[in-house]
Amino acid sequence: MARTRRIVQLILLFSFFYLFLRARYPYETIISSDLYLRFSPLAPLFYFIDSLELPLFFWPALIILFATIFLGRFFCGWICPLGTSLDIIDRVFKVPSNKISEKWVKLRWIKFAIFFSAIILAIFSVHIWGYFDPLAIFMRFTTIIFYPLATFFLEGLLILGTKLPFLESISYTIFESFKNIIMPESQSYFLGVMGILALLLFIFGLEKLSKRFWCRYLCPAGAWLGLLSQFRFYERIVGDSCPICNKCQIECKMNAIPRGNVKETHKVECIECFNCGEKCPPNAKSITYRFRWKPYHSKPDYNRRQFLGTSLAGIASLGLLSIGYRHKTSSYQLIRPPGSLPEEEFLDRCIRCLACVRICASNGKCLHPAGVERGILELWTPVAVMREGYCEYNCNLCGQICPTDAILPLSLEIKQKTPMGLAYFDKDLCIPFERHEDCIVCEEHCPTPDKAIKFDVKEAILPDGNRRFVKYPYVVRELCIGCGICEEKCPLPNLPGVFITRENEKRLESIA
Amino acid sequence: MQRRDFMKASLILGTGSLITGNPLSLFSAQPQAVWVSGGEPLPLLQAAMGVFGGIQNFISKGDQVVIKPNIGWDRKPEQAANTNPELVAEVVKMCYEAGAAKVRIFDRTCNNPQRCYANSQIESFAKNYGAEVEQIRDFKFKDYSLPEGELLKEWPIYKDYLEADKIINMPIAKHHSMSRVSLGLKNLMGVMGGNRGSIHNNFTQKINDICAHILPTLTIIDAYRILLRNGPSGGNINDVSVEKTLIMSPCTVSADFMALNLFDLKVSEVPHIQEAIQRGLNKFDVDKLDVKKIDLS
Repeated sequence: MARTRRIVQLILLFSFFYLFLRARYPYETIISSDLYLRFSPLAPLFYFIDSLELPLFFWPALIILFATIFLGRFFCGWICPLGTSLDIIDRVFKVPSNKISEKWVKLRWIKFAIFFSAIILAIFSVHIWGYFDPLAIFMRFTTIIFYPLATFFLEGLLILGTKLPFLESISYTIFESFKNIIMPESQSYFLGVMGILALLLFIFGLEKLSKRFWCRYLCPAGAWLGLLSQFRFYERIVGDSCPICNKCQIECKMNAIPRGNVKETHKVECIECFNCGEKCPPNAKSITYRFRWKPYHSKPDYNRRQFLGTSLAGIASLGLLSIGYRHKTSSYQLIRPPGSLPEEEFLDRCIRCLACVRICASNGKCLHPAGVERGILELWTPVAVMREGYCEYNCNLCGQICPTDAILPLSLEIKQKTPMGLAYFDKDLCIPFERHEDCIVCEEHCPTPDKAIKFDVKEAILPDGNRRFVKYPYVVRELCIGCGICEEKCPLPNLPGVFITRENEKRLESIA
Repeated sequence: MQRRDFMKASLILGTGSLITGNPLSLFSAQPQAVWVSGGEPLPLLQAAMGVFGGIQNFISKGDQVVIKPNIGWDRKPEQAANTNPELVAEVVKMCYEAGAAKVRIFDRTCNNPQRCYANSQIESFAKNYGAEVEQIRDFKFKDYSLPEGELLKEWPIYKDYLEADKIINMPIAKHHSMSRVSLGLKNLMGVMGGNRGSIHNNFTQKINDICAHILPTLTIIDAYRILLRNGPSGGNINDVSVEKTLIMSPCTVSADFMALNLFDLKVSEVPHIQEAIQRGLNKFDVDKLDVKKIDLS
């Protein structure tokens, strides 16, 4: 069983990466790439708290939740890509056994605390659970760190090959086919790499303290599934031949076998990895797994006092999150993807998985994970930075891939008429205004059928007294959709002569 | 044309011209430019190529050929922002028939490159005839020295373009808000690296500084559909006019000069082409251009 589990884990991890790679132009929705994200067991719960509805597009998660009631936390052991990656780390690096890591067991309550405070905050319409959702976390790592790193090294290696005198032509061929099949888009450079790297180092680094530290003590999805597993009837049965060697207890990934009583299993903690059966010495062979309908209760390590403390902390943080300074000026840069829900609802719905950022990187490259400059809850939400990218006029893929419909899946026709913002000229910088020279690269790129950037031809008097006709651009507010291609293509080296603000953005409540 | 046929023909023509006492008639067998109108894309191209005696007069066996169409925008062929894909594919076919070793097609696009290659339909059409339609790779731009340049002395140019034996420049005739028109010279911006936007300031000098050093073997201007307003990106079908025309010349400047007629422009109204003529980038005297005009309708 343990071997089957490992194979399944690897297949699912590869399918995660496969779907990730497919999340690009041309995007075919036969198997939609957000499928994996909709496996998140937390998503339907919090969606329900938010809207009192259970949409059917969460079917993968709903199936898992239903099965968990009877089968336990198999999601954590078999499916979760973050869990799988932690298992891989445990294979590569030396991690402490339960003998050493026993002291951390008292932290089990933290995951329940995170889970319940997320619920309390959600009831008051502040959704922070996405930050802790294991699938969103893994997607974040892949988008911002794993994939750009892989591009950097693989591309670099292949380009290096083309510099070798004898291998030049074959290296080009390999490079071209690699680029066409696996990584068509050019290297991405994202904002906020450091923040996500810190999270990555934190979660992966905790493996030095114990196996699956994140899953044991911190993951709210684990807590939620643990609470649901009370009726599980697929059980580990320890026979009388057990010599009580404690090997299964020491090696258990989740420390779910109580010390001193190897015959019991902590239902809330066990992730059904079947390692215990594998660890059981061959001469004993006393562990078997069987369906057995004999419900018993495993008490979650979370007491009333802790619950009260969590509730108070949740309410306090609700207040703290609300009294932060709202920076009116800098929020002009908070440009959301086209089709985003109204800001409050958008923040509730967005799980900060950055799938939109991933798919944008293969198109106009404008989306980046936001920082905390404008508010803590904006952390890792998608924000369009137009100086380095722009919203591709014929692209509506961010809405297609959003797993929670925080960005609505607009049709291309509607998306092309939904402004994200508005362009302004900075006449102190813009070349025609500042130097009386023609430029209008912005007008040239403006994609709307009736151009939102137009120009006047006026006669300018030059410093030497000569006169010249110059084209001076301006924005037609009614036509501008804030796509930002003008800002991106502005040939000035640093500050652009034209820039996008959030003004005039149109947020939609629903597709209809 | 086989080599033997060519030798025969030149022998006959040569003797003929010697007898009549006018050796120049040997060269006048080929006009300096062709203007074909009134047909569908393929007949236009075939008629024009026929006047020049087939593409084998430009492409030799074993040549590495680069075709440089305009694939700059994420637009459909009907929107006339990119070169007609049927024309590009047909030129690919002709090149291979003339014995070209390899035909490469690329353009440094303004929108997302994958989208431009796909939506212009040039990628799929040209690949059908075996062309290598390749994405631009940043590391393949090489700083290229421009000894004749006035403002620019160096600019990054695409390596595959510089290393090609023969180059076929295939612009689409478009309005351009800054340079008035986008034709053969402007189309060569697609092989230029660096901050291309900055070429727009003092465009007249800069475009000629660079183009003077990288002029192609043959220029085929696609004027089947032309963009009359809101160029170069267009996007409004009302700005497109179906002219059913094609212009071909071994001289880019002459081809551009002729194409101005499509827009009712005089060369004095288009500074960058006027400057090219003043600098002598034209192979032929544009005022006495020997143009073969064909009307297929």
